Amino acid sequence: MTDHSTDRSRSPAVQPDHDTQSDAAGDRAAVPDDSHPLLEVENLETHFPITRGLLRREVGRVRAVDGVSFEIRDGEAFGLVGESGSGKTTTALSALRLEEPTGGEIRFDGDSIMSLSGADLRAFRRRAQLVVQDPNEAFNPRLTIGQAVAEPLALHGMDDADRRQAIVTDLLERVGLSADDVDRYPHEFSGGEKQRIAIARALVLNPDLIVADEPTSALDGRVQSDVLALLDELRREFDIAVLFISHDIDVVRRFCDRIGVMYLGEIVEQGPTDEVLEAPAHPYTRTLLGSVPSLDPSDRELVRPLTDTIPDPSDPPSGCRFHTRCPELIPPEDVDLDRELWQTIAAFRFTLQADELPAAIEPDAGTTAVDEATVRETFGLPSDIPDERVDRGVDDAVDAIVRGDLEVARDRLAEAIPTVCERSTPSDGTDCERPVRCHRYDPSVDAEPLSWP
Amino acid sequence: MSEPDDPNRFERVDWDEIDRSGRLHTPTRTAFIVAMVLFAALYALESSNVISLGWRLELLDWVILLGVAVLLSLVVVPAVRQRDLTLRVLGRLVSRPIHAAAVGFLAVLSFVAVVGPIIVGSPELAFQHRFHAPYGFTSEAGWHADCLGTMTAGEGVTRYCEGSLTYPLGTDHRGHPLGHLLIEGARIALYVLVFTAAFVVPLAAIVGILAGFRGGRIDDLLMGYVDIQLCIPAIVVFFIGYMYWNVSLLLLLVMFGLFSWGGIARLVRSETLQRREDGYVLVARSLGASPLYIAKRHIVPNITNTLIPAVFHLLALLVLVEAGVAFLGFHHIELYSWGSTIQEGLDPPLTGIGFVMDPHEIWWVSTFPAIALTLTLASLKLVGDGLRDALDPRRTH
Repeated sequence: MTDHSTDRSRSPAVQPDHDTQSDAAGDRAAVPDDSHPLLEVENLETHFPITRGLLRREVGRVRAVDGVSFEIRDGEAFGLVGESGSGKTTTALSALRLEEPTGGEIRFDGDSIMSLSGADLRAFRRRAQLVVQDPNEAFNPRLTIGQAVAEPLALHGMDDADRRQAIVTDLLERVGLSADDVDRYPHEFSGGEKQRIAIARALVLNPDLIVADEPTSALDGRVQSDVLALLDELRREFDIAVLFISHDIDVVRRFCDRIGVMYLGEIVEQGPTDEVLEAPAHPYTRTLLGSVPSLDPSDRELVRPLTDTIPDPSDPPSGCRFHTRCPELIPPEDVDLDRELWQTIAAFRFTLQADELPAAIEPDAGTTAVDEATVRETFGLPSDIPDERVDRGVDDAVDAIVRGDLEVARDRLAEAIPTVCERSTPSDGTDCERPVRCHRYDPSVDAEPLSWP
Repeated sequence: MSEPDDPNRFERVDWDEIDRSGRLHTPTRTAFIVAMVLFAALYALESSNVISLGWRLELLDWVILLGVAVLLSLVVVPAVRQRDLTLRVLGRLVSRPIHAAAVGFLAVLSFVAVVGPIIVGSPELAFQHRFHAPYGFTSEAGWHADCLGTMTAGEGVTRYCEGSLTYPLGTDHRGHPLGHLLIEGARIALYVLVFTAAFVVPLAAIVGILAGFRGGRIDDLLMGYVDIQLCIPAIVVFFIGYMYWNVSLLLLLVMFGLFSWGGIARLVRSETLQRREDGYVLVARSLGASPLYIAKRHIVPNITNTLIPAVFHLLALLVLVEAGVAFLGFHHIELYSWGSTIQEGLDPPLTGIGFVMDPHEIWWVSTFPAIALTLTLASLKLVGDGLRDALDPRRTH
């Protein structure tokens, strides 16, 4: 198996975008000083219209992906991490031209994939492969494993059934299954075996890029490691770039060279994996890392998000999309409060805004008398706040809640504690060696990045 | 594992050498086109009166012939091409005796329906032989002018005529042998089955898959139409047609066929909606598979669990509807449907003119077609269930 790499090193001058190579094994050559990356995603936007009525009038849009840019070089593993609903999968499917982007550009090997057609499109379909999340629905239950893995070959014109069979048998053995398995049906395999077969199917066309959408999230511990190790080994052996989608930061840490952290359709921070995970710059990355269970509970205080509700992507928050949950929300310039108190007040404001009221003060819950003390106790608000304007705003809001008028409470708080994070959209900050979308890294905003322990 | 330089390793495949041939001419498509051309040629020859084929075909026969051509090319050719799979499915289908019996009955029915009329020809009127009892039973001698069996004396002047082997299943009021009528009825049932399977089911499947797969406006439009169609009772439309055109089996098939596929189309649509989000469909799309390919290879095979029983239910339903309409008397007088024969056997005052008799005295006229009808319906349902199980590799008997 090692001859493959020697093969490649023998022909480094061959440009990968030439499809006329005669050497089958060195179908593409990894050129270190390649002029363009294998996959370039630039300002990708994928919005889904929300329509209503017989005429399908558009009444809104889900901004699943909203201005995402990244690039993947030959043989590189790029991870996209984020909570569910952050647009990772949509990004991945857009990169394979399975979702129609509403804006931006995706280039594969230098060519915009949306403009591909004919033989070029077929070549793209051959060179970029997909591994889906759930191994239980990754295979047509009515086809044998042999048929499933041979399908890409047949679809791409290999009419010789015996050759298909030979290739598939060989490949299945190399991913750790036996030759007899070709005639068995998917339901006869375990989840881990199915994911190995799924990887074999993605590999059978000798691709340059594999898009793996949470390939291990449906598997448990040991099996997950085995499958990851297999994918990693194959990637290195055949020099395949991988776009790796995951919500599990540990898996990404083990597998990826570089990562991008996604929140509500945007990449908030990207860079080399160890740098991003050792010294996370964006508050969201920090909360993600903080959500990994730690033995020391006091560790988590700094990185706990203010609220747990991910905002609706059809109506994302203004300014920085993370501001409603951000523990490092920037206070107004003239407000000088203790950090913990500021967080408490901000949490109070955005909990109200997200309509996540605790049962104790929920006006519709049937508890009759909500008094001021209960409200303050529920949110941990002190009776006196050392900033006059904020204190007045909080007082009014608490009174409004006691009256049951949540709308007024929200408005009062919004007036009392305005923040730059809500007003203006951050661009990729320059105060950091890698792109981070946070006002704290914007020199024009009067706020310093907090240190990471 | 193979040697590293084995050409049959995936990384050794030179994709530039493999030209994706258009593969427009798959065996199935070729067979379909050949069948259609042959059919058109036959029709042209026959209707131009240049060469006589020796027998006269009605419009209905042509339609059914077209249906046979469709079924041959779209079902039989692929089944023969995937011999192993077909044999395995058939093996699983007949592995349970009751399903085997049902398959056997339908096979015999089809064979009799095709070969029977050729051998026995059209039934002719033979009033002198009417109401002969089946072999082993007797009927009143006075009913028929010419008793073929032995006469036995009864009370007083009553004499009985024993059934003879000339008419082993007896005869009806026109002297038509019951066996003959059963064969004619089988032919009509087969016509209904062929018409439904060849035209109605593909229509339902295509509409359902199209709506489910494409979604959006096409889905709204098609399903809206289906909703409207489901509100219109086919029998009313049939009676309207009956008033204005000649009554014929074709009218019945077209009317009931056109108005009965909505349910299956909805079923197929909802199943398709579920399947199209599945991982293997996504992977096939990422490989550049065409929607037609995905529908054929990934959607249809995976909706057989609901589609097959629904289709066989529809087949049974339409056979029953045809019999029912014929029972009510709205059938073409020269077509001896099981339904009309049952009705004639149950209504001797109308059919046995001049005689006083009870339906049970000529029980054979209604009973034999009723049994044939019941067995056909039961067989269809059983084969539907059996085929569903046989097609699903996850089910073990």
